[in-house]
Amino acid sequence: MLQRSGTGFGALALQAMLAREASGKAKAPPLPGTAKRVIFLFMHGGPSTVDLFDPKPLLARDSGKPFPLKAPRITSHKSENLLLKSPWSCQQHGQSGAPVCDLLPNIAAIADDLCFVKSMHCSNSRHGGALLELHTGSDTFTRPAMGSWINYGLGSENENLPGFITINPSGSHGGAGAWSSSFLPAKYSGTRIGGKSGEMKVPFIDNPLHDRAKQRKELDLLASFNREHLVQRGADSELESRIASYELAFKMQMEVPGVQDISSEPAHVKKLYGADVDPTKSFGEQCLMARRFSEAGVRFVQATHRYWDSHGNLRKEHEKLSAEMDKPVAGLISDLKQRGLLDETLVLWGGEFGRTPTAQGKDGRDHNPHGFTMFMAGGGIKPGTVYGSTDDYGYYAEDKPVHFHDLHATILHLMGIDHEEFTYRYAGRDFRLTDVAGKVVKGIIA
Amino acid sequence: MMFHRIIGCLGLAAGSLLGAGDDWAFSSVKNPPLPAVDTIQWAREDLDHFILAGIEERDSLPTKAAEKRTLVRRAYLDLHGLPPTTEQITVFLQDEREDAWKRLIDGLLESPRYGERWGRHWLDVARYADTNGMDEDIAHPSAWRYRDYVIAAFNEDKPFDQFIVEQLAGDLLPAKDLEEKRTRTVGLGFLSVGPKMLACDDPDKMRRDIVDEQMDTMGRAFLGMTIGCARCHDHKIDPISIEDYYGLAGIFMSTKTLTKYSVVAEFHEHNLTEETHQKRWQDVRRLEAVRKKKETPKEEKERLGNEIAILKKDLPAPFKVMGVTEYPTQNVKVHLRGDYLTLGEEVPRGVPSAWTDGKKIAMPGKQSGRLELARWMISAENPLTSRVIVNRLWRWHFGRGIVPTPDNFGGLGERPTHPKLLDHLARRFVESGWSVKAMHRLMMNSATYRQSAQADLALLEYDPENKLFARWQRRRVESEVIRDSILMKSKRLDLTMGGSMLVVQTSKYVDRGHLDAHSLVPRRTVYLPVYRSSGYDGQKAFDAADPAVPDGNRRSSTVAGQALYLMNSGLMHESSRALAEVMLAATPDQDSRARTSWLIKHLLGREATAKERLQGGEFVESYGDEKEAWAAFSRVLFSSNEFLYVD
Repeated sequence: MLQRSGTGFGALALQAMLAREASGKAKAPPLPGTAKRVIFLFMHGGPSTVDLFDPKPLLARDSGKPFPLKAPRITSHKSENLLLKSPWSCQQHGQSGAPVCDLLPNIAAIADDLCFVKSMHCSNSRHGGALLELHTGSDTFTRPAMGSWINYGLGSENENLPGFITINPSGSHGGAGAWSSSFLPAKYSGTRIGGKSGEMKVPFIDNPLHDRAKQRKELDLLASFNREHLVQRGADSELESRIASYELAFKMQMEVPGVQDISSEPAHVKKLYGADVDPTKSFGEQCLMARRFSEAGVRFVQATHRYWDSHGNLRKEHEKLSAEMDKPVAGLISDLKQRGLLDETLVLWGGEFGRTPTAQGKDGRDHNPHGFTMFMAGGGIKPGTVYGSTDDYGYYAEDKPVHFHDLHATILHLMGIDHEEFTYRYAGRDFRLTDVAGKVVKGIIA
Repeated sequence: MMFHRIIGCLGLAAGSLLGAGDDWAFSSVKNPPLPAVDTIQWAREDLDHFILAGIEERDSLPTKAAEKRTLVRRAYLDLHGLPPTTEQITVFLQDEREDAWKRLIDGLLESPRYGERWGRHWLDVARYADTNGMDEDIAHPSAWRYRDYVIAAFNEDKPFDQFIVEQLAGDLLPAKDLEEKRTRTVGLGFLSVGPKMLACDDPDKMRRDIVDEQMDTMGRAFLGMTIGCARCHDHKIDPISIEDYYGLAGIFMSTKTLTKYSVVAEFHEHNLTEETHQKRWQDVRRLEAVRKKKETPKEEKERLGNEIAILKKDLPAPFKVMGVTEYPTQNVKVHLRGDYLTLGEEVPRGVPSAWTDGKKIAMPGKQSGRLELARWMISAENPLTSRVIVNRLWRWHFGRGIVPTPDNFGGLGERPTHPKLLDHLARRFVESGWSVKAMHRLMMNSATYRQSAQADLALLEYDPENKLFARWQRRRVESEVIRDSILMKSKRLDLTMGGSMLVVQTSKYVDRGHLDAHSLVPRRTVYLPVYRSSGYDGQKAFDAADPAVPDGNRRSSTVAGQALYLMNSGLMHESSRALAEVMLAATPDQDSRARTSWLIKHLLGREATAKERLQGGEFVESYGDEKEAWAAFSRVLFSSNEFLYVD
């Protein structure tokens, strides 16, 4: 049902596409889904989840000793594989007793809203490869981003807004590859906006030097010329669509600036996100912006926090990063919950990989794609859950491993899409977000 | 289990496929007789007979020829990617000679603007980019030479068979002098400019992925075949087995693309600097090293500085060319399920036997075999290449291929609507000595090409996709044409050709912060550096080709983001203001109706109607500041469907 053709994109397909665009209605998901929207809080660089969420008594006990299991064949850096205990401690929180590091008191306080998947793993030990695999399912070739897939599958909830917005994304390690629609139509591509308050704007949404009333005058004359042209040329759905596209753009201009204006938020909300003071101000503003876009009907919003790549200086860097990230993330989830939006909004938190329980130097950890933690909230996820586990030292996903493909399958499932049926034909092949892999993780679904 | 991954190809139910198991593309190119048609006087070229036969078979009629005014604009936009000037239109309209149209086409093909336009089409297929993108966005500082080579190849009408050989094996061809050596080597950029994962902790995986990308691009570009599926298993649809894949992979594994496969990898470049210059550069570097040393006394440093300056005077920059070279030859073992850690039988290097009808193409012992592969590619025994190329040319002229999937002639592509026409054209192409310009003349001189877009309503309903080619398919101009046309019509376009605007060195990261500055340079869009990690917002909105994958069939979308760009971008506002000034200077002391007429003629190539003159006058008078008003009126015309579509 969701299969469409990427080739021979004829007038009929275009008409159908534009009819949907013009109607402003979303396609109903083919299966009953619980999540309507996704907010992805991406921790670029690879946070040390073995420190943040996955405490291991044996790691603390054997610190300084060689890692007793077999080290991976491929690693990012050469290492003597000596274990390094966490500089911090974790306490159990909420009814689930999920361990959360002392660096994250606000996230700890909402532990019962969260579902921790502690057996994540992926296939690439480098930032670029792992980041692309997380965002697109492939660390080898250019593929559409998951936000593009989801918009292609479900359509827009609000045609006056882009369906996929990425705030402050990384320009390196994949760059636009992480939000590109690739072979899916360009309209499903992510819209990149900056991370500072003045830069969080949809491109070309306004021209500050241009007067709105005068622009309206121009558009009226344009519409008149275009209609005359259409009369002379005879029926042509594409010409008609283009005439309509200016009206749609004008409506976007009216609506988007209001959505992207976080200054209108009351002080107590800004405070909840930490968007009022440093060190939480920057990411707090981004999380608040993410909620505003999501609330207005943007299917997939991503905010990126960086840079968690602590090969050295782990203690200082992770303390600083945690302090910037903890309150905004907890604030966003609490705010969604208060507004009754959490049930239909899936919040996903995580990096492209985690970090090794072994040391790099005296105060650092290397990339670890073999076992790490991500957490989710809302959108039909079972709250207060801890799912899967790593080995006794926190290196490899051991019990119930969840690959990025499985994560993608699960996200699609929550949105009412069967990842095996959801294909797009391009260059003679039917492509899926999950390629030939992926299993829905039933154990984390409410 | 890391890296034990298969590159998945989805098993498809054979019943759902078009033409599964039908290898029409591999059958030899026929010499079909011209089909009988009723209205034979309509035909101008032999190819028209094939089109007309298809139309008549469905009891339909071709559409009347477009007016001369429409045709001249169509020809300029098609061959140059720029609209004609008012003078150019007048010249053609006044040329009443019988062969005026042919003369127009000949003239357009002589202009260097032609290569910039059609070279860009090929760059779409070659997934050309000035940076790697993917995980590590490293510059390709000498890739621009490949881009310029492609533009020159079209301008010179380089025989396309030679163009193919140079792109696959230019380094293995004999060259009579350094100049020829350079030209032939530059073509190899085709294999090197692809997207690569450059930070991979597993160098073996990395090499195999690069080889896979090169084979896939080569297969799609020249043969219309997807080869990648056979990396893991026999191709389910097309006749390429897993042994065939690894036989072909042996050729590319015997070819060096990178000089370093460890993190972060580096590209191979040929250094084709003239010997005496090379020597001077070595001296410069030696002296610079001494000068940099702390212990070198100040006076000595000054003296060295002078010496270096003398050496560098009139010394051309080193001539570096991004391109592959040879490796020690090797055969590859079959990777079971695509995994190089579980190996099967070794396969000798070779061209897939299904492609050669079982014939073995001998591989040299001491060379990779790229040259033999390239020679087979253009040989008379290979029916694919000439069909694929003429179909690409047809697609770029008519907006739809005879095979509607130009990059896929396999079982999962679509079948040709006019198979005999395809063979007819392929034959004519080879007979012409693989002359692309000869094909332009043939296609554009046809009655098929000259039809109007204003077709009978019944035909539009019956054949909305224009499978019959019984009319001109009106379509939006491409992203580059929009930008170039706006710059040209506002008299801002800088027609300097060639060279690089990148400011980084080999194997260094590019800075996306430069993108805005690049886009402000008013040169033709084909010369803006292509950053694979990040396109230009204005270009992306209008479906510019994604440089990560070969694409001979760009889509054309209509989305609100395009309208926002035309309403609010700097390009639009600056250009419309510039045009207002040009117009005011050209029309001193004239009233607003006359000025409206001037702008409409300048941008749309026709006289303004009385109603338009009236509307223009009213608009300007009610807008406010006069110059701003004319800028606004120019914006309206730049954004109009009449300007953005080619009839």
